[in-house]
Amino acid sequence: MFTTVQDNDFASTVDSAERGVVIFTKKLCPHCKNMLKMLEKFQRIVPGIPVFTVDSEDCPESMTLASVERVPTVCVVKGGKILAQKTGLMNPREMEAFYESA
Amino acid sequence: MKDTSSFDVLILGGGIAGMTAAIYLARANVKAVILEKAICGGLCNYTYVVENFPSYPSIHGMDLMQKVRDHVDHLGVAVEEICEIQRFDICGTEKTIETEEAIYTGAAVIVATGRKPIPLSLPECEQVHYCSICDGFAYSGKRVLVVGGGNSGFDEGLYLLRIGVAHITLIEVADRFFAAQSAQDEFLIHKNVEGLKNSRIVDLTLEHNRLKEAFLENVTTGQRETVAVDGIFAFLGQKPSTNFLQGIVDLDEDGYVLAREDMSTNVPGVFSAGDLNRKRYRQLTTAMSDGTIAALACERHIGTKRVHL
Repeated sequence: MFTTVQDNDFASTVDSAERGVVIFTKKLCPHCKNMLKMLEKFQRIVPGIPVFTVDSEDCPESMTLASVERVPTVCVVKGGKILAQKTGLMNPREMEAFYESA
Repeated sequence: MKDTSSFDVLILGGGIAGMTAAIYLARANVKAVILEKAICGGLCNYTYVVENFPSYPSIHGMDLMQKVRDHVDHLGVAVEEICEIQRFDICGTEKTIETEEAIYTGAAVIVATGRKPIPLSLPECEQVHYCSICDGFAYSGKRVLVVGGGNSGFDEGLYLLRIGVAHITLIEVADRFFAAQSAQDEFLIHKNVEGLKNSRIVDLTLEHNRLKEAFLENVTTGQRETVAVDGIFAFLGQKPSTNFLQGIVDLDEDGYVLAREDMSTNVPGVFSAGDLNRKRYRQLTTAMSDGTIAALACERHIGTKRVHL
């Protein structure tokens, strides 16, 4: 289950997230669809991690705040801060390692 | 301990060929599963506009594939996406495929793993892309090099123009462009594009890890020129995704499956459908034809060996 975030609540969502993953996507982007499906599997491997989705076209301010230029970009949030971000494709195991190492 | 699931037919690949086969098998009450490495839809997902698919004058590739996927889901076919194959035994009577999460067995296999884009042989560079829908919008107002003068190159170039790319240089190593003439005309009429034949990219200049220039070479004269670009989009064609079949299924020298007219291969119970087969024309419609034939031949092959009748 993912939560959609808009420009008006992006900053507060990140600030209040003890842990989580933010993914920036775009409509009709195949790599984004791939990563969303991957994150469903990631949530089964690492239960309890909330995933927030941000539509890059609808949320330009969030893109700027997170310094994201391309999609799909995944950000790891811990303690209310974005600690790491990665653009492109990953499999669930790579995502797990990326999350744990952040 | 992984769960084992038994099916009549294991379909490897969820592109148009695999999904078409799944639809035919489901309607014949054959229990099938699609195992897809990424997401269903295959290369068509990366096509901005499809205008040669009967029934839709113009449709986004991903939208079209979602409609096919909806059809597959409507028929109750099992689909596993983001599926890494770890073990593969298709030579015996019972076929076994093991993924990271489960083991699948079946009486037959339809391989429909398609093709994947050929990467550019260039130094590592974050500004080299293979999907303009995914990465194009970062280049609005910037200069872009498109590599490849086939349908993909021109179609993606048109998409980049629509989203506001300031200038496009499109290069093709052959002495002519291979895209449909209508796409060439629509693209080359723009004042902010340049099409170069007999040209290939040989090197890049990076500054602080950002692309600055591309070095192009005219393959007939050897003359070199430098083009200032912010990003490169490469559409060099595809190669078959058949490495895992080497030594098992008969392939040609380029890795394409040597399937028979009924899509059967040299391995009993293993069928092959879609772009990975050696053939002349590779279109959505020809892949659907392969998937249809493979499913019908497969159904005949498994006969009474079905899991449930």
